[in-house]
Amino acid sequence: MTNTKVEQDKKLFDQEVIQEIEEQKNRWKENTVKGKEGEEQYFSDSGIPINLLYTPDDVKDLDYLKDIGLSGEAPYVRGVYPNMYRGRLFTVRQIAGYGTPEDTNERFKFLLKNGATGTSVVLDLPTIRGYSSDDPEAEGHVGAAGVAIDSIEDIEALYDGIPIDEISSNIVTHLPSTTVVLMAMFAAMAEKKGIPLEKLSGTNQNDFLMETAIGSSLEVLPPKASFRLQCDAIEYASKNLPRWNPVSYNGYNLREAGTTAVQEVACAIANAIATSEELIRRGNKIDDFAKRLSFFWNLFNDFFEEIAKCRASRLVWHEVMKDRFDAQHPKSHLMRFHVQTAGITLTKVEPLNNIARSAIQGLAAVLGGAQSLHVDSYDEAYSAPTEESALISIRTQQIIQAETNVVNTVDPLAGSYFVENLTQEMAKRIREYIALIEDKGGLVNCVESGWLHREISDFAYSMQKDIESGKQKIVGLNYFPTENNSTKIPVFRYPEAAETIQKEKLQKLYAKRDSAKVEETLNILRQKCHEDENLLPYIKDCVLEYATLGEIEEVFREEFGLWQFPLA
Amino acid sequence: MVSLSDELIEKFDQKDEVVLGKLLKEVENQTELGFELLKHKAFQKGKAHIVGITGPPGSGKSTLVGKICKSLAQKGLKIGVVCIDPTSPFTKGALLGDRVRMQELAKYPNIFIKSLATRGNLGGLAGSTADVVQVLDAFDKDIILLETVGVGQAEFDVLDISDTVVLVNVPGLGDSLQTLKAGIMEIADLYVINQSDRPGADESVKDLRMMVNESKKEDWKPPILKTIATQQEGVEELIDQIHRHKSFLRNSGQWAKIRQNRHMKRLRGVTNSYITEIVENTMRNDPLIQKRIEEVKRGEIDPFTVSNEIIRHLFQKQLTL
Amino acid sequence: MQIKVVMAKLGLDIHWRGALVVSRMLRDEGMEVVYLGNQFPEQIVDAAIQEGADVIGLSTLGGNHLTLGPKVVEIMKAKGMDSLVIMGGVIPEDDFPLLKEAGIAEIFGPETRIEEMANFIRARVKTEIA
Repeated sequence: MTNTKVEQDKKLFDQEVIQEIEEQKNRWKENTVKGKEGEEQYFSDSGIPINLLYTPDDVKDLDYLKDIGLSGEAPYVRGVYPNMYRGRLFTVRQIAGYGTPEDTNERFKFLLKNGATGTSVVLDLPTIRGYSSDDPEAEGHVGAAGVAIDSIEDIEALYDGIPIDEISSNIVTHLPSTTVVLMAMFAAMAEKKGIPLEKLSGTNQNDFLMETAIGSSLEVLPPKASFRLQCDAIEYASKNLPRWNPVSYNGYNLREAGTTAVQEVACAIANAIATSEELIRRGNKIDDFAKRLSFFWNLFNDFFEEIAKCRASRLVWHEVMKDRFDAQHPKSHLMRFHVQTAGITLTKVEPLNNIARSAIQGLAAVLGGAQSLHVDSYDEAYSAPTEESALISIRTQQIIQAETNVVNTVDPLAGSYFVENLTQEMAKRIREYIALIEDKGGLVNCVESGWLHREISDFAYSMQKDIESGKQKIVGLNYFPTENNSTKIPVFRYPEAAETIQKEKLQKLYAKRDSAKVEETLNILRQKCHEDENLLPYIKDCVLEYATLGEIEEVFREEFGLWQFPLA
Repeated sequence: MVSLSDELIEKFDQKDEVVLGKLLKEVENQTELGFELLKHKAFQKGKAHIVGITGPPGSGKSTLVGKICKSLAQKGLKIGVVCIDPTSPFTKGALLGDRVRMQELAKYPNIFIKSLATRGNLGGLAGSTADVVQVLDAFDKDIILLETVGVGQAEFDVLDISDTVVLVNVPGLGDSLQTLKAGIMEIADLYVINQSDRPGADESVKDLRMMVNESKKEDWKPPILKTIATQQEGVEELIDQIHRHKSFLRNSGQWAKIRQNRHMKRLRGVTNSYITEIVENTMRNDPLIQKRIEEVKRGEIDPFTVSNEIIRHLFQKQLTL
Repeated sequence: MQIKVVMAKLGLDIHWRGALVVSRMLRDEGMEVVYLGNQFPEQIVDAAIQEGADVIGLSTLGGNHLTLGPKVVEIMKAKGMDSLVIMGGVIPEDDFPLLKEAGIAEIFGPETRIEEMANFIRARVKTEIA
């Protein structure tokens, strides 16, 4: 009895107060609200019922210190660092990548000059998919939608003149197979420059879901193989690149493909759980690698739900690390995440409206405590960003940083009955979805069986139906539809010569390298694919001999086999 | 509109795939031209070995078909594949997704894949399946693989068309095995436990063996095979067994018997659907009969009497034609 | 008669959401949609030949529309096939004339109502059959 008394004492409000509020609220519902507009049930984007009014009784079960806490302390709902943005503003990370490495290098320098505080590179499809620029499958894709990287020489050109020991380098590798090759190239380049690996900071995406569930392709590695490479990269970095985030669990693209905010976070955390279990099986300790695991969220327009999602994801991750893995290092409990605003919410009609959408989403990210941010450019539905639109994205972030004052106090929405209630509800639903995935044999199984693909496809399908029926409102499209259907905006053109230039560079590379050594290192890698050993050191040997990305990944395809993408 | 000219037949005989595609489309849509070519002498061959692959959803049929084709193609065989997916009864549309799992076949010549929607046909196949098979056979395919819808219910139609029936299952389907037992379970010529690296594979094999031992088939004991289609494992053994069954059919004289039965069933099927069509047409369009139908609707007369009238009326008309 | 559509992701482009959602919704519009996944022009045309496709749908957000899109039409014509070729995805409007000139019947942006696309297909396929 005394125990419950003590517990009750710790709640945010006195039980008598709550009782009175509940009584008053019932009266208010019966007498004041009844019959007025808005009585029907509202829902958040994730399908959470939303009340007309939130009051203290909606947070009556919360114990402040235990369930919310202080910033930089468990359970980290309020933020991962005690001083948050006063200590360090969120990184303005604007993605760039097109044409040859030399082309992108120029864009990097432009963005840095204008206040970007790190580089973030996207790769073209052949690079992501593991084909060299001279592969027949690469035709028409070289340097489009990203930069082409074929060999270590390209990585050298990409970061030429960029202080990689001072600013962080984000490499959007998407797939584990791409990650292991580019991580090896990046590390080898640094060593050649005489920069110690400990000084390198940056992030890779490295998510097997990207290969096997989110993005379709002709030739896909089996989920188990892709997952193994994902773990190899994380393990290698935890031992050799202590400041590197070797994974950014990609909730973002899951959400773009078609999930709710709850599924987005749950899948990413389920992936982190699976990784942790595998690395522990290999003999690593949780605290060796957990502090470098990072996450990547997508923020849509449902403002408060997205903020609650950010807060809830920190809470659930803390619980997982503490209760499931018994992690001791405080940093292992911190969920650090990057946010990109939602590309799929941007419209082609009245494209300038997208600046408003992205700004609101970016603001939510900052109110949610993101560590870094990319604000989508308004021309996303037309092409890759032009220099002008990319600058607006940077400016948007700078306005949030410097003009709105939202960065001055930590987690300013805490204590809102609504936000706290929603945070708890999101956390509950995230836990439930993780449990569902584990019931189905864990994330790798859910991919192999095609279950996750069906979840994604069903959601995307129902969302499209909701848009067409007008149930989901989109300004300019089905809500106050625009009368002006053909907006002319400047579009970005990929440099056309990239394919020719990259092919010429490859010809020179083939001529000058020692092909016997290339063969030798590739053959060793081939054998190691079938052993329970980390592949990174062997891949590094290959890139140092100027083996191309395509050659290395062909080894993966041959040794691991191909898997058919389960869509129906 | 395509017409059945000598030139077209010549191109067909020269293995012009564009012509094959066009003719198959006519057959699929059961057009007049389609029926005409099914009657044409160039389309009566019956040489190909027809292998029906059936099994519940999620058992990996498409992947398995893909791997079988890949191996056969590498051996230089000419292959036809017919994949069947369900038509939505509400919208009449269909999503035909089997080709996705056969993407790597696009590299090989000599593989021709046709996806069919059931278009209201029950029993696991599309109504035009036999016709499509006939045309592929006439195109000198060595082997034709038929993948059924796989809704998990008995899909008996595949028996009428196939020489060899392969039933694919996955481990841990104990309960569904029981349901299937009474139906299609007994008539397959080969049993496959796919995804056999999953727990429960050996038990499934044991269950199947018991069932096979109870079966009434005398001279062919259906083998039970384990495969992991995604890794190409067990696929060669499966192909060997398919060949072995073919030899068995040839040597035992069953090959001819199967074909005789098939022709009879086809005759029956075609005749039935022809009659149904005539009946439907008459009921819809003949004013005299329309009048009688209205009387049935109002309950003024019993349906049996009118049914007799319709049939009498219709046969008089048709037979004099 | 049922309209048959062959739907493909063009080349290496990885975004399958749009192509699959459109496939499912065209099915709801009463069409038979063969979903190919990712393929290159030559293989897309082969599939269209085999399936007797009335329509070839190409989806791309990867910036390869100008290189690979017209190639599908070119190969198709060379092989003596005459399906209606349509495209969708992220394609700058400035490129529409070039694509249409190359024989792409219509380009549908990200905000097209599927009903609109279905009506276009029905109108065009019908006239071509007649």
